[in-house]
Parts: sequence; C-alpha cells; structure tokens
Amino acid sequence: MLGSVPTTPKSLESYRPIIGDEATEEIVRLGRALSGARVLHVNATAFGGGVAEILGTLVPLMNDVGLQADWQVIKGADEFFQVTKAMHNSLQGMYYDWTPAMREVWLNYNKLNADLFDESYDYVVIHDPQPAAMPTFIKERTGRRDGKWVWRCHIDLTDAQVQVWDMLRPHVEGYDGAIFTMDRYVKDDLVGPDIFAVPPAIDPLSPKNAELPKETVDGILQRYGVDPARPMVTQISRFDPWKDPLGVIDVYRAAKNEFPELQLVMIASMATDDPEGWDWYERTVRRAGEDWDIHVLSNLNGVGNVEVNAFQRAARVVIQKSVREGFGLVVSEALWKGRPVVAGNVGGIPLQIVEGETGFLVNTAEECAEKLLFLLNQPEAGDRMGARGVEYVRRNFLTTRYLRDYLRIFCQLDGVAVQQAAPARPAAR
Amino acid sequence: MYGTLALSHRALDDLAEAAGRDTIDELRRMARPLEGLRVLNLSVTGFGTGTAELLTSSVPLLNDLGLDVHWQVVRASEDAAAVSRAMYQALGGSPVQWTHEMTDTWLRYASMNADLLTEAFDVIVVHDPQPLAIRSYSATNQAARWIAHSHLDLSSAQDDVWMLLREHVEKYDAAIFDAPTFARGDISIPTHIVPPAIDPNSPRNMPLPDDLVRSVLEQYGINPDRPLICQVTPCDAACDLVGVYETWRLVQERHPDVQLLIVLFTEPQDSNARACFDELVRLSLADPDAFVVTPGNEIGNVEINVFQTAASVVLQKGLRKGYGMWISDALWKRRPCVVAPAPGLQEQVIHGKTGAVARTTEEFAAEVSRLLENRDLAAEYGENGRRHVAERFLITRYLRDYLSILDQLHRKSDG
Repeated sequence: MLGSVPTTPKSLESYRPIIGDEATEEIVRLGRALSGARVLHVNATAFGGGVAEILGTLVPLMNDVGLQADWQVIKGADEFFQVTKAMHNSLQGMYYDWTPAMREVWLNYNKLNADLFDESYDYVVIHDPQPAAMPTFIKERTGRRDGKWVWRCHIDLTDAQVQVWDMLRPHVEGYDGAIFTMDRYVKDDLVGPDIFAVPPAIDPLSPKNAELPKETVDGILQRYGVDPARPMVTQISRFDPWKDPLGVIDVYRAAKNEFPELQLVMIASMATDDPEGWDWYERTVRRAGEDWDIHVLSNLNGVGNVEVNAFQRAARVVIQKSVREGFGLVVSEALWKGRPVVAGNVGGIPLQIVEGETGFLVNTAEECAEKLLFLLNQPEAGDRMGARGVEYVRRNFLTTRYLRDYLRIFCQLDGVAVQQAAPARPAAR
Repeated sequence: MYGTLALSHRALDDLAEAAGRDTIDELRRMARPLEGLRVLNLSVTGFGTGTAELLTSSVPLLNDLGLDVHWQVVRASEDAAAVSRAMYQALGGSPVQWTHEMTDTWLRYASMNADLLTEAFDVIVVHDPQPLAIRSYSATNQAARWIAHSHLDLSSAQDDVWMLLREHVEKYDAAIFDAPTFARGDISIPTHIVPPAIDPNSPRNMPLPDDLVRSVLEQYGINPDRPLICQVTPCDAACDLVGVYETWRLVQERHPDVQLLIVLFTEPQDSNARACFDELVRLSLADPDAFVVTPGNEIGNVEINVFQTAASVVLQKGLRKGYGMWISDALWKRRPCVVAPAPGLQEQVIHGKTGAVARTTEEFAAEVSRLLENRDLAAEYGENGRRHVAERFLITRYLRDYLSILDQLHRKSDG
C-alpha cells in the first residue's frame, strides 16, 4: 500500500445554496450512477501545491456523493524526487541534460510503487508525471490492470523537452483516459486514451474563499500593519521571474504618484528549499526599499488561508502581473471575492477574465498601471466588474463543476448513461 | 551584503493594552540612553523558525523605541547549508560524523560572510551557532560588541562540535541562552538568560469573533458544539502523535462526544517522523471524530488561533527541543494545557496551577478527562495561564531583557 493522506469531510448539500438546484441535482444523479465505485487518486505529495489543494476538496466530495474515494501518495527517496523535479521542469520547457541514469531512477521508483499497489479500484487517477508509469508495471507484474486508468496532467506540456516527453508518452498511451487543464496543453502526438480538458477550480467553502465579516478582515489587516482605511492593492503569488514581482512594485509606484495613500501587499508563497525563490524575495524587498506602504509577507511567516482571503477581500484591485502562467487560479479566487483583477494575458488567465467585464488583461507594465489607475479612479466600475466576476466564477470555476467533470468522465469511460447529465466534453485539439 | 528581510512598522504603544501602560513607559525609559544604537541581528533564515518569529516582532519594536536595529541573514551555498544542518543536529544532541572537511567548509563560509559585513555596528547579535565564527574574521567590526544568542539547548551538544564552536564563542562579549538548562557551564564570558516570548498582537493571538471561530471549524469538518482536544505541533517522533491519538481514545471512553484535532505545522523531516505520520493517518482515517490538519492545508496564523481558541484542552505530548512557545499562545488564550515534562514546557505549564504535567498516556487521559469534567478547574488554569504568560512570556519582557543587556554592554564600551 502507498501512503494515505487525510482529508476533511465535505458535503455537496452545503454547496447547493451557492450553485443552485440544477447544478446540484446533476451531480447527485451522476453520483448515484457511480454509487459505490472505488476511486483512487495518486500523486507525489500530500503537502502543498495546487494538486494537493484540489484533492483535499475533490476526494471528500466524491465520498459524499456516493463513491468510495481514497487519496494516496507514492513512496520515493531523494534521488527520485530530484529526478521528478527535473522531469517536471523539463516538461514545462526548461532544458535539462536528461541522462539514461535519470530515466532508470524514474522507472525504478515507478516499479517499486507499482509493487506496493495491492488493491483493486474501479477508477485510478494518476496525477502528473511522477507516478505515470505505474500502470505499465502493474500490468507487467499481474498480466492485467483492473479498472479504468486516467492520467491527470496538471502541467503545460506545450514546450516540453522532446526527449522527456518521448520517455513519458508510451506510458501515457496505455491509459484509458487523459485529462489536461486546457485544450492547448494537449500534445498532438498523444494517441490512445480518450482526452478531456478540465480546468481547475476553487472551493467556495474553504477557509481561503469563504465569507469573512468586515471587522475580521480589518482586524487581520491591522495586525499585519496594513491600514484598512486606505486603498490597497495586492498580488499573491510565488516570487519568480514569471510573476514579475519587481514589475508589480513599479506599477504600484506609478499609481502611487496619483494616489499617495495607496498601499501594496505582496504575499509570497515560498518553499524552504527553493533558492531561486529566495533570490527573488530579496530582490523584491530591495526594490521595495524603505516604502513602509509596501508589505512583503509570506506563507512562511504564517500568512495562511484566512489571511489571503482577508487581503483579497480588502483589496481595491487585485493584480496578477504574470508574464508566464500555468492556469493562475488565484485570479478566480479574487474574482470570487468580488474584486476586479488586472492580470497578465497569459496561460489560463484569459479563460478567467472577460476583458473589460470582470477585469483587464494586460501585456505590459504601462497597460497594467493604466488599468490599475482607471479602477482606482472609478471604484464603482471596479465593484461592478467584481460583481460580474462572482457570477462568472460561480458558473465556471467552482469545485463542484470540477467534481461534475470527473464524474462525467468516469461515466463516459465506462459507457454509463445518466439522464439529464451532459456527456464529458472531449478536448478540442 | 547579507540577505535583507521585509519588516513592517510596529508601534510599541499598541502593546499597552496587553502588557500595561507602565511596562511601555518603563521600556521607553530604558531605551532612552540607547537611542540611535546601531544593532545588527544575524541569523541563518528569516522564516519558519521560532527565532525568525521573535525577530519579526522585536526588531520593529526596538526601532520604535529609538534604536537603529537591523536584521540580516547570512549567505550559504548548498554545501555550507548541509554543514550547517549537521552542526545544528550535533549541537542539539543527535550524533553526527563531524569531519575536518566540515570544519573547513564551516570556517570558509564564516570568513566569506565576514567579508560581506561591510557596515559598522555598535552591537552584533548572532542568533544561530552556524554563523558564530564570523566574529573571528570580521575586519570591519572589531570595535563592536558581539553577543552570541543561542536558541538551542546546548546541554547535550556533541563534544567535538561544541569544542570547535566554543573557541569562537569565547571571543564574544556575552552569551544569551533561552533557559538555564540550555546553557553551557564551560564558557568564561558573561552569560544571560532570555527566554523566548510571544507577541500578543500577532494574528495568532488576536481575539477572534465567535462566528469566525465556528465557521472555520466547520470548514475543517469539526463540530463547534462538541468538546475538542487539540495538539498544535511539529511533525516529529518526539511529539508522540500516536500517543496523542491514544490519549484521545482513552478520554473518549468517558467522553464519547470529544473530538481530536492534530495540527501539524511542519512536514515530517526524517524517516521516524514519516513513520509516525503514516501511523497517525492510518488510525485517524478510520475515525470521523479525529482530524489531522497538515501543512498541505496551507494553514496560517489565524487558523492556528481558531483551533487554539476552540480547544477545550490543549495537549503537548512530547517535545524534541526548544521551548514549544505555541503553548504560551494557548495559555494566553486562557486554554488549560496538559504537557509532557520537557524543560521548556514546564516553564510555561506549572503543574496544578497553569495546567497539568503528565507522563504516560494514561496520565494524560486522566488529566484531560478531569479538565473536561471540572469546568471551574479548567477556567482557573486558564486564568492563571494568562497571568503567567503576561508576567513572563510577552514580547515586552523580551524587549526589557534585551535593553538591559544592551545597556550593560554599552556602559562597558563607554568605560
């Protein structure tokens, strides 16, 4: 057996007031059709990262609607995780000198984990490339492979290093289904599995997104030294060149000329073992200089879900000045709080922002400053955009939609027809 | 140049409510002769440690008091960081194979870091053992007063590593330890004791509205109307996670409605910790009234505040090292605590007064049951605990200790 991961229970009914009867009932019907089905999610880590966050909600919800879902993490030593980190980066377009030894390490640990796999499931969802070769070895060992196997790829393979993708591809081709985040992440040369596109989603009832009373929001701001009475803008992201933290400070400075009261809160999500992140943190702090209206905070200082929630709610405008992005789900988090978002026109961000309706897509620092100033000058326009953003996220980016997509895919893979439930949408390639 | 850290502005006056106006006035009086004193704090990291938390609170407050206090982190590469970790382990009492190469690396990085120290300061406080040798190499700050503040328990440090360190510590003007039991008797420089402290104004200790406490608990699946016992803890073998679970099972025999919450604020770092974690998860997964929150939940200060505020009883079944200051966070919230007899914990929880000290799982279960049954006792412990923290473990006391040490050194350098 692999390592199990604890999750906290969730109930579909508590989402009904948010998503309405129709959406709830479709999920109920899908759940009924799949009642008792045993589902296993497998990924590489129980701690941190977007995948762990999504599974923390998806797994208990699957259980609540009648399936029997587990979440397990693979076993591995440092050498394996070093290789999979390189693999992850190279699939996202970074160049690595990929050696046969690295390939061996990856395969060996997949085989080891395949040997630990001793249960039977109706659906097994393997997340990301780290454990992707497991089914190959299970089949090799037992001569068969029970249930339907789905590979869930959370990363953008557009610029994947060919050599690494070629190593991964034959293993993926043995799956029954493959799910990508967006249509254009699908590799053209992938044949075999049924292919679907399922964008990620936010949990409106999690501590990061649930309603917060105004007094609590103000109290939290004050404790972090931020003045709730003055306008504030925020960016919440990793500190790396792709999120352009230095550009965010420049944009804030440009706006501060007109709005001397303006404050900027930057919340870095950092890993203790990421030297590049530290470099960018430092450069950001240096760029901020002695402007006490710039607050650089971090998860490592205890800024967690409720704090992020409070800062997003309190922000006049939320910025996500990415120059390169995966999906950028933080945009939906901010929209859900009724805040207008000014964000880089990259990755999954254009899927979330309706230009001029729920926020602005920008390509340069000048554009970013211009739109920020527009929204600071016209707070009512910002509020209207925010209100439309809430509705847009409600329809498209809540965790219940994510759950529904998985259930539809399971039904489709097994040829289960469900009344008044739409079929899973195949990815457009 | 060293690594810089983002600090916010803090006003000491904001602490008047928690610490009392007199305390604030006294600190201002003490700080007057030290106005403009240039102090540099050096540490290995700015995040995620008790030391970092103390500096995050205390540096801005000392600046508000008129001193000119800085905080920077030293540079290290991967090999230096590995040596650093080994040194930390050896000093904490876990044996390591210490080699000449490690000594060389350590000294080489101390010398390189000494070269990066280009500004002159009046006082330099080195907070971790790893950068201690910088003092031996620094050309720019020979006139400064140097303080070695060890937050580690050095009483069982590995001999060869301690001997190496001691040679450099002896060149300091003063040493500070967190507790008398953490200190070394075999150094000749003046030694002070400055226990750690909590910041009553931090988001982890701010008063929270009931509605928020209830809703956050519900978001984690916890029933706010039923009793809850809670351990907020690092994930290591010494914290006896399985023992916490077993304590709860015993308590449940008499109190079937009690829920268990274990909040892990670190990931398991070694194979023993991983085994404990796996076992805890195996046990708790089967039980809908046992909740385990991991770093994967991305919890922050406000959530820890919620969990402690909501707990009927707070446990600490064991502790590997240090003080475990999150117990003071709980006492400040008037929570009755039951803790293991670790030295740092016993400074905070005085048996029969601010909580209970227990040894075995059965003793833990008996104390917890008693507190669930006897509300008056729980409330009494809670009030006493709050007072005890107010007297001994608030950041204002930490500032006073520091001002007093800085003042002594300052007078010496004048004379």
